[in-house]
Amino acid sequence: MFGWTGKIIRVNLTEGSIKVENLKIKDAYEYLGGRGLGVKILFDEVDPKVDPLSPENKLIFMTGPLTGTLAPCSGRYEVVAKAPLTGTVGGANSGGHFGPELKFAGYDGIIFEGKAEKPVYLWINDDKIELRSAKHLWGKNVFDTTDELLKETSEDARVACIGPGGEKMVLFATVMNDKHRAAGRSGMGAVMGSKNLKAVVVRGTGSIKVKDPNTFMNAVKEAYKKLKEQPVTSAGLTTYGTAILINILNQVGSLPTRNWRDGGYFEYAEEISGEALREKYLVKNKACFGCPIACGRVTRIPEGKFKGFGEGPEYEAAWALGADCGVRDLAAVTKANFICNELGIDPITMGATIACVMEMYEKGIISKEEIGFEAPFGSADALVELTRMAGLREGFGDKLALGSYRLAELYGYPELSMSVKKQEMPAYDGRGVQGMGLEYATSNRGGCHVRGYMTSVEVLGIPVKLDPLVTTDKAKWLKAFQDATAVVDSSNICLFTTFAIGVPDINAMMKGLVGWDYTDEDVLKIGERIWNLERLFNLNAGITKDDDTLPPRLLTEPLKVGPAKGKVVELDTMLKEYYEVRGWDEEGIPTEEKLKELGIE
Amino acid sequence: MKVKFFAHYREYTGTKEIDVKNCKTVGELLKKLSEIYGEKLSKEFFDGEGLSSRVIVLVNGRNIVHLSNLNTPLKDEDEISLFPVVAGGL
Repeated sequence: MFGWTGKIIRVNLTEGSIKVENLKIKDAYEYLGGRGLGVKILFDEVDPKVDPLSPENKLIFMTGPLTGTLAPCSGRYEVVAKAPLTGTVGGANSGGHFGPELKFAGYDGIIFEGKAEKPVYLWINDDKIELRSAKHLWGKNVFDTTDELLKETSEDARVACIGPGGEKMVLFATVMNDKHRAAGRSGMGAVMGSKNLKAVVVRGTGSIKVKDPNTFMNAVKEAYKKLKEQPVTSAGLTTYGTAILINILNQVGSLPTRNWRDGGYFEYAEEISGEALREKYLVKNKACFGCPIACGRVTRIPEGKFKGFGEGPEYEAAWALGADCGVRDLAAVTKANFICNELGIDPITMGATIACVMEMYEKGIISKEEIGFEAPFGSADALVELTRMAGLREGFGDKLALGSYRLAELYGYPELSMSVKKQEMPAYDGRGVQGMGLEYATSNRGGCHVRGYMTSVEVLGIPVKLDPLVTTDKAKWLKAFQDATAVVDSSNICLFTTFAIGVPDINAMMKGLVGWDYTDEDVLKIGERIWNLERLFNLNAGITKDDDTLPPRLLTEPLKVGPAKGKVVELDTMLKEYYEVRGWDEEGIPTEEKLKELGIE
Repeated sequence: MKVKFFAHYREYTGTKEIDVKNCKTVGELLKKLSEIYGEKLSKEFFDGEGLSSRVIVLVNGRNIVHLSNLNTPLKDEDEISLFPVVAGGL
């Protein structure tokens, strides 16, 4: 095959068996790879009503046809399962070098079934695949686990693993690869932990076949040219990293502050900004496989009680651990982010859960005695300590490990959780950026910003400039972004490329790579197919129209300051229009005609 | 009025913010800033006489493309934020 390797590894952890199967070609052409193909396998093989942490759930690692090729930013892979945090279709993708290495070993993906009796890891050394005991690694953090595994397999191998967070099934645990890169959201690390699977280690020495090298390389060169010409991808992300957004979102009045209670303006935003990070703690920037952007931040806190070395924080983490908790100390924010990576937990949900606890603490709902120390908004010490406790499920951390929704519900205040479908919303206040409000409400994995990034058009003006305060055209643009993003996540290149390139560029590369003759409309249709299949999985899992909503705070408490002062999210108007644009009925269910059009049976 | 600079505009100007007086429109303000800080900044702001696509100008948090662009009126109590478009991210 071209592009795809044509092979998938199936591991039954209960039996300890390993099989190599052929990729279903029809599925590959209809769902590409990565997220799309992962979801297709999940849809076909897993009962949507299954307990996400039971052996009946499956954990799927999937690369895309472009993964590991010369296409720009092709270091991505996706982890898919039913998500423990949301109960929806789950999944998260990650960069680094693990995905390409899996392709070089000769595999498009791995399906894990069942549950191992004792901790194990999978060692893939080209065509030699074995399950090994991970007893000696259980309890170790992500960095130590990775070092140990490289020592006992090959120094040239790549490691994806869980930390204590995943082992202890923290509901927002991550799968970490190459130490610092995270398949971050919706709790894929907890599913891995529930299966007693500590790590996947891979070494590959093969290559990926290209159908028409000339056509492929011409398309690749064109994509590189566009990345170079676009200022965000050629300069901004490289110089300042993603946290450059802190100041701009704060200035437009949409940086959610103190559990979204104080509106969209954090008075100390400058102190946790990308500019401040660069000035104070940046050691160097870092790129994933085949990436000319290099947005990664290698950072060091040289001294003091938060001394440490690692990577990040990214924008979302800097916001969640910073503005959302009212914390202005960048060293503490950076340290808390290091701990998230080390223990393998998602810093967005972590920060937002601590923010929720801080609000409940200030309201007198949770006491100092219960937590073990004072935890008001702004406490850098509480932020760092609570992060550590959550990752280890130590003391009050056992409740933090549930995420903000379940935690707030325990005390009878679920409305204080700033989440959608039980996953915490990230760093854009929908009251000031209306399309983002619609995006959170409709995302198939709950509160999420990367599956239809409306900020691009509403704040950055790329590729068009839409007014963030109005609802006009938001549904139409969101659908287009959601479908296109599904293509990006499934051909599997980095979403950051989309500031410069789009579906036509991906199609041009795919034409050369696999030799298909699809039109751009055909490719977008693949994205729409993926979105609708995810929707069907959720409907079958019992998620309904009623879950396409936002926390009451966004619908009833107007912003207090800034240009969006007085605004709430006008969700009803946008949601109705969204269902229409999607070709779904009033209950948000895809119509027979729509499914037929998309070839979903 | 208070003018705030972000990302590499801080390197071009050597400051994070300044106070400017007597500019009636955004167009006037950007011309004045170009006079103060020179060609490097004016090239960021203008394509010919029009607003360049390389800059995001906010007046009290509102992007001027959704107001009256370069003709957006200014008052002394306004806050103007200037970002290069490079300041995008995710």
